[in-house]
Amino acid sequence: MVNLPVLEAKNVTMAFEAGTPHEVIAFQDISFTLRQGEILSIVGPSGCGKSTLFNVIAGLLQPTSGSVTVDGTLVDGARGHIGYMLQKDLLLPWRSVLDNVTLGLEVRGTDPDQARERAMSLIGRYGLAGFESARPQALSGGMRQRVAFMRTLALDPKAILLDEPFSALDFQTRLILQGDVKRIIREQQKAAILVTHDIGEAIAMSDRVLVLSQRPGTVKAIHNIELGDETDPVTLRRSPAFNGYFDTIWQQLDGHKKSA
Amino acid sequence: MRWSTTASHKRQPKPLDYVSDMSAAPAPAKKSTRRIHSSGPRRILLYQTLLVFTLFALWEILVRTGMLPVYLYGQPSGILAKARQLFIDGDLIAHIAATAFASIVGFLLGTALGSFAGLLMWLSKTAALVLRPVIVAINGVPKIALAPLIVVWVGVGLGAKVAIAASLTFIVALISVYQGTQEVDEDLVKLMRSLGAKPLTIWKKVIIPGATPWILSTMRLNIGFAMIGAVVGEYISSKMGLGYMIYNAGALYDLNSVFVGIFCLMALALILDAILGRIEERFKW
Repeated sequence: MVNLPVLEAKNVTMAFEAGTPHEVIAFQDISFTLRQGEILSIVGPSGCGKSTLFNVIAGLLQPTSGSVTVDGTLVDGARGHIGYMLQKDLLLPWRSVLDNVTLGLEVRGTDPDQARERAMSLIGRYGLAGFESARPQALSGGMRQRVAFMRTLALDPKAILLDEPFSALDFQTRLILQGDVKRIIREQQKAAILVTHDIGEAIAMSDRVLVLSQRPGTVKAIHNIELGDETDPVTLRRSPAFNGYFDTIWQQLDGHKKSA
Repeated sequence: MRWSTTASHKRQPKPLDYVSDMSAAPAPAKKSTRRIHSSGPRRILLYQTLLVFTLFALWEILVRTGMLPVYLYGQPSGILAKARQLFIDGDLIAHIAATAFASIVGFLLGTALGSFAGLLMWLSKTAALVLRPVIVAINGVPKIALAPLIVVWVGVGLGAKVAIAASLTFIVALISVYQGTQEVDEDLVKLMRSLGAKPLTIWKKVIIPGATPWILSTMRLNIGFAMIGAVVGEYISSKMGLGYMIYNAGALYDLNSVFVGIFCLMALALILDAILGRIEERFKW
């Protein structure tokens, strides 16, 4: 399989109130490339502009300078090729699991039968079989996030942005979902960006971890995570290399200097 | 009332403190709160029966022993006799039917149009802001003050009753359902936008279903307002209905008849509320 670059950020800078005395630079000069089947994590201290960067990549905010392209076309206005998964699952409580998964397709005007078929195949393949007519209220937090992820995948986006999607889950569920999401992203050959404050999660899930500095956020380091093809976060955590990455990133985040 | 979009993410409607003459806030009943009551429905029913029976017995005793003068307070046994007589005459059923009909028609008209208008207002922030003082002003006016106008416009009788009931329920539904649209999680709207949905699609797929609990709770509230409207209409300009019957009997110092009318109104309110409860249960997500 050819690993084509899917998402590219080139010298992206975001300044609020640019050109005025109140100018606040959220981050500057951020560049990275993301290929099919890859996950890139963005970690950084709070206030480093992670969420702003997320919104810029998503096309919800216009960067002050630099560009973000998906498949070579500039990202604009959050249409099209990018899917999201957020901390909140944002499932519609009046819709069944199936109807939540088809929501995006419905909005796009996809033929209902096709939409249903696509949703059912995702639901069946990724651990929600038998729950297609359940209401979200009847599901656990982990399953709800799974549905949200299926809703994202249903639209077949080129790139997926994951904004701390597991942070509201309990530890066990979080580990299981981390493994599953990583596996699915590889299987489906999506490119994904994971914004997280959990270093372990970043290492376990990603091919690369981008460390941002304090505001104004700049790229402090990019680590290539080479832990093989393993997707199970528990197994990954056992490897000595994992701890090595963890320590390095922890140091770079100045975590040790913080009194918590 | 909050009209800005700094919508909180609370899912429960807040009390409608801006509806001046509202006794209860519409809180869409969640399934969990319902279950508490079903723990011993029979026992609750028994207590309710006992409570009512005791109150009536006490009343009867106080009147019979002469501690309460019957010409001021009526008397349960007398009320019962009066009710039976009015029922046999056929008057009572006719009055109940007239009031129920006017209430229901006014309720349906006012609630449907008001809810729809409240939903529509979500589509235009500007319109909502422009209309805000108008709505607040209209809401502040006791609808009884509009009665003379309504009588002039639609005449006396059924039309006036329905119009008063509809105008009362319209404004309540409008305010409360609009509030409901504002309480729909802003992030759901963002999600829809990120999926590429147009405002009208968001309105149909998220705002209307999201505001449904408010529509349903408004309905429960509004049935009471519709009855107020109908009875007020009957006080002012009608020869039929429980309101007319009560007003007339009061003028003649026939307190037992007044009480018959009041109790019939109460029964009607309970029945209509129970019907709406069923409907609410069915449409709740």
